[in-house]
Amino acid sequence: MSTLNLTINGKQYGPLEIDPGMPMVNFLHEYLNLTGTKFGCGEGICHACVVIVDNDDGTSSTRRTCIANVMLFNNLNIRTIEGHATKNNVGEIIALHPVQDAFIKNFAFQCGWCAPGFTNETVALIEKLKQKPIAKDQVERVIEDTLGEHVCRCTGYVRYFKAAKNLILATKGLTI
Amino acid sequence: MKQWELSRRDFMKKCVIGGVTVYSAPMLLQQQSAMAKGVASSLAETWYQDGKPAFRFDAIEKITGEKIYGRDYRAKDIPSWPDTQHHAFIVRAHIADKVYQGLDLSVIPKDLMPYKIITAEDLESNALKLPPFYGDNMLLKKGSAPDYLGHEVAILLFNDFAQFLKAKMMLQFHEHFVQYGPETVPYNAASKQPYAGWRIVREESTKGSQDDDIYSTYHSGQFFPKYEGQKLLWPNPVKGSDDIGERGMYLAQTLRQEMTSNDDWFVLNKQYKTQSIEPMMLEPEAYNGFFDKKSQTLHVVITTQSPQDFYLQAGKVLSESPLTQSIKNLVVHSPYIGGGFGGKDHTIFPYYGMIASIFADAPVRLANNRFEQFQSGLKRHPFHFTNQLAFDKSSLKLKGLVADMNLDGGGRENFSSSVAMVGASAIQGIYYIPRNDIVATCLPSYLPTAGSMRGYGSLQSMASIEMMFNEAADEMKVDPFKLRRVNAMVNGDKNTQGSVPLENIRYQEMLDLAEKHEMWQNRQANKTKFDQANPDKSMGVGFGFVSKDYGTGSNAPSSYVGVTPDGKVVVKVFSVEMGTGTDTSQASLISEYLGSAADNLDIAQIEVFDALEIFDDASPYIMSQEHQDKMAKNPRWTPMVVSASSASQSAFFQSHSTKYAAKILFEESLFMAAKTIWEKQGSSGITITDVSWQGGQLHAKDAEPLSLSIICKKAHAEGMITGVMTHGFNRWQWATAKFELNQQQKEYPLDAIALEYGIGANDAVKAKQNKQGFVVQERQAVNYPKVKLNSAMVRYYTPCLTMVELAVHKVSGEVEILRTHTWIEPGKVHVRELVEGQIEGGLTMGIGHVLHEALPQDNTGAGNGEWNIDRYKVPFAKDNGVWTLDYTLLPTIDGSDESKGLAEVVMIPIVPAVVEAIYQATEKRFYHLPITAKDISEANA
Repeated sequence: MSTLNLTINGKQYGPLEIDPGMPMVNFLHEYLNLTGTKFGCGEGICHACVVIVDNDDGTSSTRRTCIANVMLFNNLNIRTIEGHATKNNVGEIIALHPVQDAFIKNFAFQCGWCAPGFTNETVALIEKLKQKPIAKDQVERVIEDTLGEHVCRCTGYVRYFKAAKNLILATKGLTI
Repeated sequence: MKQWELSRRDFMKKCVIGGVTVYSAPMLLQQQSAMAKGVASSLAETWYQDGKPAFRFDAIEKITGEKIYGRDYRAKDIPSWPDTQHHAFIVRAHIADKVYQGLDLSVIPKDLMPYKIITAEDLESNALKLPPFYGDNMLLKKGSAPDYLGHEVAILLFNDFAQFLKAKMMLQFHEHFVQYGPETVPYNAASKQPYAGWRIVREESTKGSQDDDIYSTYHSGQFFPKYEGQKLLWPNPVKGSDDIGERGMYLAQTLRQEMTSNDDWFVLNKQYKTQSIEPMMLEPEAYNGFFDKKSQTLHVVITTQSPQDFYLQAGKVLSESPLTQSIKNLVVHSPYIGGGFGGKDHTIFPYYGMIASIFADAPVRLANNRFEQFQSGLKRHPFHFTNQLAFDKSSLKLKGLVADMNLDGGGRENFSSSVAMVGASAIQGIYYIPRNDIVATCLPSYLPTAGSMRGYGSLQSMASIEMMFNEAADEMKVDPFKLRRVNAMVNGDKNTQGSVPLENIRYQEMLDLAEKHEMWQNRQANKTKFDQANPDKSMGVGFGFVSKDYGTGSNAPSSYVGVTPDGKVVVKVFSVEMGTGTDTSQASLISEYLGSAADNLDIAQIEVFDALEIFDDASPYIMSQEHQDKMAKNPRWTPMVVSASSASQSAFFQSHSTKYAAKILFEESLFMAAKTIWEKQGSSGITITDVSWQGGQLHAKDAEPLSLSIICKKAHAEGMITGVMTHGFNRWQWATAKFELNQQQKEYPLDAIALEYGIGANDAVKAKQNKQGFVVQERQAVNYPKVKLNSAMVRYYTPCLTMVELAVHKVSGEVEILRTHTWIEPGKVHVRELVEGQIEGGLTMGIGHVLHEALPQDNTGAGNGEWNIDRYKVPFAKDNGVWTLDYTLLPTIDGSDESKGLAEVVMIPIVPAVVEAIYQATEKRFYHLPITAKDISEANA
């Protein structure tokens, strides 16, 4: 057993005694009851299980939780799909993150099982572009590079990609 | 531990099945529940703005990670369950030609041992077995060879997650855990009789297509083979025989002979082979269940497209076992599901969960990982075709079609017979064929079970006929559009079964649109330019045009539309929401009658429709006309109470019952309530044709506009109708019936109606209310579609044409989709974005079918338990031309108010389109799917 401490969506968890071989997605589901992060393939290919890791230097990256054991997140600060929307003082969701808003208004997903992975990846991309804007003619390529490894079986990806593109182009400071 | 209590407020009694009372719980995941818990109503209500959906009805819950899927739920989430969560693991055989000899649990440490191992012996000693639909051998007995790869041999139960996970990771792929005898034995499947043998013979009248056929299944009836082992014995051909089989076989034989002897015909004789496909819906199947011995109640959460099936059959299973006779209540929670594509339609999976619950000491969860889903989930049937297509050399008219198709149904029959039938009836595509002999045979095999996958046989067979048309045009040096124009069906033409499609046929119009597209018009110039700019690649353009059936031939939708005193609209439907947007469209379409979308929508409803007090008693597919006529005299009888969420059913069938519920509510109550208000205000003489909804208010001439809430308040206060429940039955046409409403006889395309009255209802009305609070409207006359229509097999079609421009890398063989355009006739569109989403997703799944996805049809395939998407290639965004995917939705013909089912057809025409475009790029024809880069590379070498 190993001792785990981590922060998820701003909430501190730990110290917890945990089997170090436990995949992170199982830890989220079975120990924290955070089931918004989805299990898809268990091989790190479909990317449904992606969460955001916030680094100390102010940058963020995404990580697949089905192939990463829980101790790889020890002492890290992560965000899951449950952490993006704004909630009121009784915990009700009252406003969405701009990425979530863009996806729903573009009817980007259908069954929705892939939506948490796409959302986290796109949130991290938007934040990256805030720090390092790109040329407008590079937007499509960057989206292909960033979201291109996510699997969706319902939609054909079209509305995810268009929603992300429109959001990036419409958000001040993301492109030059 | 929370206490489980049944109460009228929480649950409504469904029915008693073999002594087990079956309940459908108010879904944990219903929209109002989800909104109440997690999403502020001020945000949730914004889903519908300016008279249309601003986003999906379920969008906020899905995009914020709220618990709405069955796989999300743990014991601690569910009121009345204890918090303790146990876990189950199904052990499956990974070979099928050796005798199973038991499990060797010594391969794991003692501290990882399950607390219970459920075996075939446990089932046998307790008389627990599968419902008959699924067959026998639920768990394989020691000493028997598996019926198929992945045959379930035991269920292990664990009381701790960490222990369960460790044990499962050690056991799932262990070579020696499941033990087999040393001898290789024959596959059991080889000694089983065929799942199906269908034959569709037709010969048109000598007077042409519009006259009565000389012979057809619709006109003459169906005939079937006898089985000798796995051989099909068809009747002997006898000219002019009174026996339909002998007469049909004579015509079939004559056509086959003429295929080789008629010099005026150009005959294309080709073989095609399609593959086994994994639906790969992103949510693997899951189950959670709790057998509460204290209250004698079994609670289950299932992830299926057909909860009605489980609902009705599970109770019967429980009632027949001494072990479960103590169970008096079965509570079925049916949540949102993360994709289905048919892979969750009539799946066997939840029955294993139910068995685990019976033997578990606490709530038990059973959840497939992706390897298990590949190994055990339903697959798409592989087809092998031998087709002969004859054209008149001078007129280019089709003269005949002979098709022999063989399907591999896998280890359990499931829907194999009907998939074979649909595949056979669909092969004609968009064409009029004057003579046909189509044979479909489905055999069992030792491979995983094939079932009701998206496309349902049509994908395979219609793609083959389109490939033939493209090749025939090439061989005859005829423009492929011209060849299609000559042969495309027109209004009044019969299908291969001899029945006439019901809608206006617009194939010529769609051909015109596609032919004018720049992609086609400039294909030569574009290719020259592209190939010069990309010397390592070669461009090609191709298209396919199909017309896919929707519906099952026995669709039985139910809907409820009601209003609260403060003007909130509540809709309840039987359909499951698996991503297609049924919830959004059903919640939206009622605004035509009520000026407002639904405030609450409940999906997958079953028990609520008990208020209709209807019953069925036999299969609507095989009942006799005499039986139907006799039973129809009982106003509570229907040929089918409820059908599954499959066969692209929601847009047309579910919408029908919802639309009529809203229409009746408005015309028979809310309009009258408004009229009463207006008359008191001095505005008289207003008729229903004078009114319209504008901005959520009902307008009429110069009268003061009324809000829905004011009208509803009046309707409730006056005890008028405030809720309408409807049921329809469709066997390629709607049943119609007369009902007395407001002292007037009305006729509707429905076979059952029940009404709910407002809080001011008088005692006379209250006296008529049933225990659910509804007043059943006695059906006074009913006209059910004749049982003969079963022989029509199909009558509703949605046409779809897709054109593709692609490039093939000359060395690697990699195919790059450059752009696509799809033309579709969707009928009335409820929510345009949902239709577009189906086109985009369907096309992409079709690309997977034609270029990427395949499972070996042997013991190296999915049944060995080693498959996942590292080996099974699903299409990514780079594979479908994601930025250049375009479409045209044909507007409805004036006056048409019907929507068409389209969730399946959209994936089909891209298949032959890609095959043809590859040919145009490489001059190589392929007759098998998928066409991989390796195939192309080898062909180019």
